[in-house]
Amino acid sequence: MLEKLIELSLKYKVLVLVAFIAISAFGFKAYQEIPVDAFPDITPKQVVIYTESPGNSAEDIEKLITYPIESAVSGMAGVKLIMSNSIFGLSYVSIFFEDDMDIYFLRQLVSERLTSIDIPQGWGQPVLGPNTTGLGQVFWYEVKDSTGKYSLREIKEMQKYLVTPLFKSVAGVEEVIGWGGDEKQYNVLIDTKKLQNFDITYADITNALRSSNQAAGGQYLEFNSEQYLIRGAGLYKTLDDIRNTVVKSSTGQSITINDVAVVLPGAAPRFGAVSIDGKEAVMGMVLQRTATNAAKVVERIKAKIETVNIALPDGVTIETIYDRTEITHKAVSTMTSALISGIILVAIVLFLFLFELRSAFIVILSLPLSLLIAFLLMDYYNLSANLMSLSGLAIAVGMIVDGTIVIVENSFRLLHDKPNANKLEVVAQAAKEVATPVTYAVLIIAAVFIPLLSLDGLAGKLYSPMALNIVFVMLGSLLVALVLVPVLILLLLKPTSSAENVVMLKIKKVYTPLLMLALNNAKKVLVAVSIIFVGLAFVLTQQGREFMPELNEESIMYRVIAIPGTALTQSVTTAQMLEKHILETYPDEVLSVLSMIGRSEKGETAQGNYMEVLLTLKPGIEDLPALTNKMNEDLEHTFTHVAFIPTQPIAMRIEELLEGVKAELAVKIYGDDQKILDTISKEIQSAISGVDGLERMEVESQLGQAQIKITPDYLALARYGISVDEVMDVIRNGIGEEPVSEKIEGIRRFGIVAKIKDAKKDAQSIKKVTLRSKSGALVTLDQICSVEIQQGAAFIKRENLSRYMVLSMEVEGRDVASFVAEADRIIKTKVNMPTGYYIGWAGDFKNMKEATDKLMVIIPITILLVILLLFTAFNSLGKAMIILLNVPFGFIGGIIALVVSGIYLSVSAIVGFLAIFAIAILNGIVLVSFIDELRVKFPHVGLKTLLKDATLLRLRPVLMTAFTTLFGILPLLFATGVGSEIQYPLAVVITGGIISSTFLTLLILPSTYLLFYKKEHFCEDNTK
Amino acid sequence: MNKLLLSSLLLASTIFATEIPLEKVQLHNFNKSVELNAQVIQLSNAQQSVTSLVAGHLEKYYVKPAQKVKEGQKIALIESIVVSKMSADYIALKKQLVAVSKNYDASKNLYEKGMTSMQELNNQEIKKSKISAQLTALESQLDTLGIDAAALNKATPNFILRAHSSGVVSALLKPLHSSVNVSDAILSIVKNQAYYVKSFLPLEYATKVNVGDKIVVNYAGKDIVTHITQILPKVDETTQRVVVLSSVDEKVENLFINTYLKSTVYFGKEYAHLAVKKSALSFFNNEWVVFVPTMEDEHHEEGAEHDAAKKEEHVEAGHDEEAEEEHGHEENEGEHHEEHEAPYSLKVVQIVSQDEDFVAVDGLVEDEVYVSAKSYYVKSLILKGALGEHGH
Repeated sequence: MLEKLIELSLKYKVLVLVAFIAISAFGFKAYQEIPVDAFPDITPKQVVIYTESPGNSAEDIEKLITYPIESAVSGMAGVKLIMSNSIFGLSYVSIFFEDDMDIYFLRQLVSERLTSIDIPQGWGQPVLGPNTTGLGQVFWYEVKDSTGKYSLREIKEMQKYLVTPLFKSVAGVEEVIGWGGDEKQYNVLIDTKKLQNFDITYADITNALRSSNQAAGGQYLEFNSEQYLIRGAGLYKTLDDIRNTVVKSSTGQSITINDVAVVLPGAAPRFGAVSIDGKEAVMGMVLQRTATNAAKVVERIKAKIETVNIALPDGVTIETIYDRTEITHKAVSTMTSALISGIILVAIVLFLFLFELRSAFIVILSLPLSLLIAFLLMDYYNLSANLMSLSGLAIAVGMIVDGTIVIVENSFRLLHDKPNANKLEVVAQAAKEVATPVTYAVLIIAAVFIPLLSLDGLAGKLYSPMALNIVFVMLGSLLVALVLVPVLILLLLKPTSSAENVVMLKIKKVYTPLLMLALNNAKKVLVAVSIIFVGLAFVLTQQGREFMPELNEESIMYRVIAIPGTALTQSVTTAQMLEKHILETYPDEVLSVLSMIGRSEKGETAQGNYMEVLLTLKPGIEDLPALTNKMNEDLEHTFTHVAFIPTQPIAMRIEELLEGVKAELAVKIYGDDQKILDTISKEIQSAISGVDGLERMEVESQLGQAQIKITPDYLALARYGISVDEVMDVIRNGIGEEPVSEKIEGIRRFGIVAKIKDAKKDAQSIKKVTLRSKSGALVTLDQICSVEIQQGAAFIKRENLSRYMVLSMEVEGRDVASFVAEADRIIKTKVNMPTGYYIGWAGDFKNMKEATDKLMVIIPITILLVILLLFTAFNSLGKAMIILLNVPFGFIGGIIALVVSGIYLSVSAIVGFLAIFAIAILNGIVLVSFIDELRVKFPHVGLKTLLKDATLLRLRPVLMTAFTTLFGILPLLFATGVGSEIQYPLAVVITGGIISSTFLTLLILPSTYLLFYKKEHFCEDNTK
Repeated sequence: MNKLLLSSLLLASTIFATEIPLEKVQLHNFNKSVELNAQVIQLSNAQQSVTSLVAGHLEKYYVKPAQKVKEGQKIALIESIVVSKMSADYIALKKQLVAVSKNYDASKNLYEKGMTSMQELNNQEIKKSKISAQLTALESQLDTLGIDAAALNKATPNFILRAHSSGVVSALLKPLHSSVNVSDAILSIVKNQAYYVKSFLPLEYATKVNVGDKIVVNYAGKDIVTHITQILPKVDETTQRVVVLSSVDEKVENLFINTYLKSTVYFGKEYAHLAVKKSALSFFNNEWVVFVPTMEDEHHEEGAEHDAAKKEEHVEAGHDEEAEEEHGHEENEGEHHEEHEAPYSLKVVQIVSQDEDFVAVDGLVEDEVYVSAKSYYVKSLILKGALGEHGH
């Protein structure tokens, strides 16, 4: 079949050329259109339901909102996990689905379920979170007033009613979220003491406000053949309208709002703030819709800024704070430059080895062509160009040319051997000879990367684009090698006299004695290498592990956490102190400091004690890591009352996506009562504190939010004739400032709040809030309710319908799995678990374990598949095994490189080992297939001599493939830009692996072959 | 537990970015007060009717309605036959008395000379005493009517009605030149001092107030001091509150009756109690606490817990580079201090009373140094360990 293909393509050479020109053109178009992103979309299929329930406590929100939502969605198809977090004022339920489901369908299903949820009136309405990914925040901006004329509140209004709608109209934008500033509301400040004076109740006032602010349509009137519409315009227009609202009237006299209250504009309670360089500010975040191109969305937003700036008043402008495309461009350019320098290096290497322009040209030409085919496939399969997928190409650069090299080299040799034969036939023969091993080699490379495709979760999402791209580009290279290359050889290659060049001669001079030494001591060499391999394999198991290396985003960001229950104003103070400190201490490095405190407008679970601080750095900082370390230490020491966690914008989002537990290892304790959970966690801590290898334990404290709990006293209520409802209304509207109506000003809406004057001065003033019953009784809140201050839940986290508490730990100097086994046994015997309470292990460890478990199954299957392919190619199990034996040779170098450079064993490094696997096999195939060929040609030559000659003859292609791969990967090893650190372990492993693999292949493979086939060959010798 | 938590944080003896102010626990005078609703009222006895003491003819009013009058000021003139008879009688009797006195003196002389009998003298004396008694009675009657008997030298029908108290004439009740009977109300005067403030007290305060306690009301922006004169035995049916009356001591212009006012009731005497600033309070593990700088001697009492804490330290110091650093640092300091020192410890307090800035607390001793503000930072330092700052 392959031979037919080669013949056909040689026959229709013009067609082939045209076809490839077309492919290149389409490939180039695809290359330009592919979505560009920093990272592959690693977000799990997730639908978020959030319910704003202003003023309500975590406990009540969990009971009345979170639980009903959770149970409504729990039975849905494809649900993997339901997690929730109930915090003060917000319920947040996150449903994780199987990755193969369609997000729009899932959102549809979830919203159908939402309609059946019964949430008490006035407790909020569940809303689906924006349809974006965890990395959807592509553009942050500040609405900046450089005139100083506008108050924060006015700027906030501009952001909400002017900027947001404009940005939301940009294609690909799902949502624009405002943060910072405060929102206007109209406070009707009621002096409850006056209720007695006018014989009214609190409810009378709220009812009056509600019923007086109305519009109505009165249909139409026909008059003189014309239609006059009738319109009741009863909505509040001015504050005086509110003031003059009638609360109660009796015989011609009216009591108005003005009699009992003062109406003033004020600020609504807020849960988040933004501070920039020591001053509060207003910012916005643009969320990109799922499956849109971040770079394009940002581009369109930037184009829109001009319009927005025109719409904004003079002196108020949109200032970019964070632009995802910056890092995207950096990451992509890191990868592209690695790719390009790889291509150049490979070209140089090729030229040095071939020493002939035409053949070098053909090989080099195959590079961009294969890449363009890969882009075409990427476009077809909707893969974005990002750090991971591009690095797949960068890894493969060296391997792309392998097939072409083999074919060109063979044709070159044959043309040299048969200068007078028909060129077409010679080329066809040369191509046919190596077509099978080349095809198998490519298939094997593709097969080797299959395990990556099978990975689940984060690792799968990160590394499968890389694996896919390697497969794509290898398939492309195969197509180029089998179809185009023979045509090009036919058209371009000329028989030359000298096939040997100076470089090769020198290499051979060193290599030949070494090879003879190895062949003469075949057994010893094999044993020695095996011992080294076993030793190194042991070293590898001792190597530290990490899930994935940290991406360097060239920015500094902190998550700053204060104690639970910290007030927002305090956090703003802290933020501004922090900002000033940073600006004063690092004037040469830091341009601006932004703190995002609490939570933004829509569905985030942060509270007032939490803030994110982003530093904008001045360009030209030389040693960013040193600066980061210095700053970390400085801040930790200067601001002792808060905890600093250094992070970076994208890394932070990824951390958040890691399903709740960020520690390496954690015990989740499930159960109902937080206090019991607390006790159990303490018992567990003391029980396992003695276990070997445990470094540290930490409980995530869920309690700590002080609450003023107002419990109605039913007897007292009955005494005065006041219903619980009335009391709760006073708490909700009068103290909690929930608007009773809205003042509509154009498209803007502002709450009208019936606020009780001075109710929130201190804990005492809450107790003394006065209520008046319908019958006229005057009571203070503490007369009819028990008002107590207590420590309550700051947040309540739940997983799959059960509350849990996280006890995270760190294990060092010991295998985590065995630690878990021991600790688990101790907990089960020593800790008394009440009914309904149980534990589960979680953490990075679990992710890593899941990935490892999966690989444990997939890798043997892959090896079997490779053996099968090798067996099919060589029709001999023995040869398949000899080739497979090459793999450990490659691993030796990989492990040494890893250990020497002190890198942790991460998924990236594992990918490196997979690449070595492929390279080692490739080397083996090239050599073994040639030895076989020679054995058939020269059956009478002694095996040792034959092996020596074959190896020497094949030295050039083996070295060429090895060096091209090596030089293809080298740019990744020396890359310094954004994203380079993720590829670094991989590059280190591959570099080490290629060196050892090539070297050992050339020395030990012949020896192994000798050991395997010595007898057989001698038998043949004897019979002949 | 709190102590344990603290001692595990012994390492955290760091310099604060914010200065933590310290103060000493001092006695502070508390005067408990509560804000209430009150109403200006006027008691029924405040409206005084001036009645005529005699029957007669109303000749003249000296005052006009709404005119302010002082006590004793002339109000009305009544011509009364009774008065004229009385004055006539008085003058006659006075003359008689003079005559009788002369007779008596003459008789006495005669008796001394033995010219008359003892009986005669006695008769004269009885006569004199009788008239004298009549005169005294009449004099006192006249005095009641406000007529100075001594100044009377001829009979007069004029009876001048005078104001009993200062106030404002609210109404003239009899038309001029009309006849009046005894105890007919001639006009009414609203007493100046008759305004009261009616405060509505919840039961819990009502049991604490006493007659004489101060209630300050705010009337049109001005504070008016009143004192409780009466605590009504019955609660107000509608509001279900105890009603306390306090009289308005000072004179207030234009105090309108039935106005509702904000009133502040101060009850009980001022009392001194150990107090801390309100800004010192912090809510910690379901209790109110005040932070105090750690002292040397307390340290030794916590010996047992401290050992446990030390263990933890070593566990921590083992892996945490920073902790190790600090550990080393501490060891250098070890020459000065035997043990690590926690910067602050907490004291549970019970709130007894509070006013605007101060809280009376139990659980602290006088002159104890405490963190008087920014207690948040101290609390943060103590609780920071549970934040999971290493959990990444």
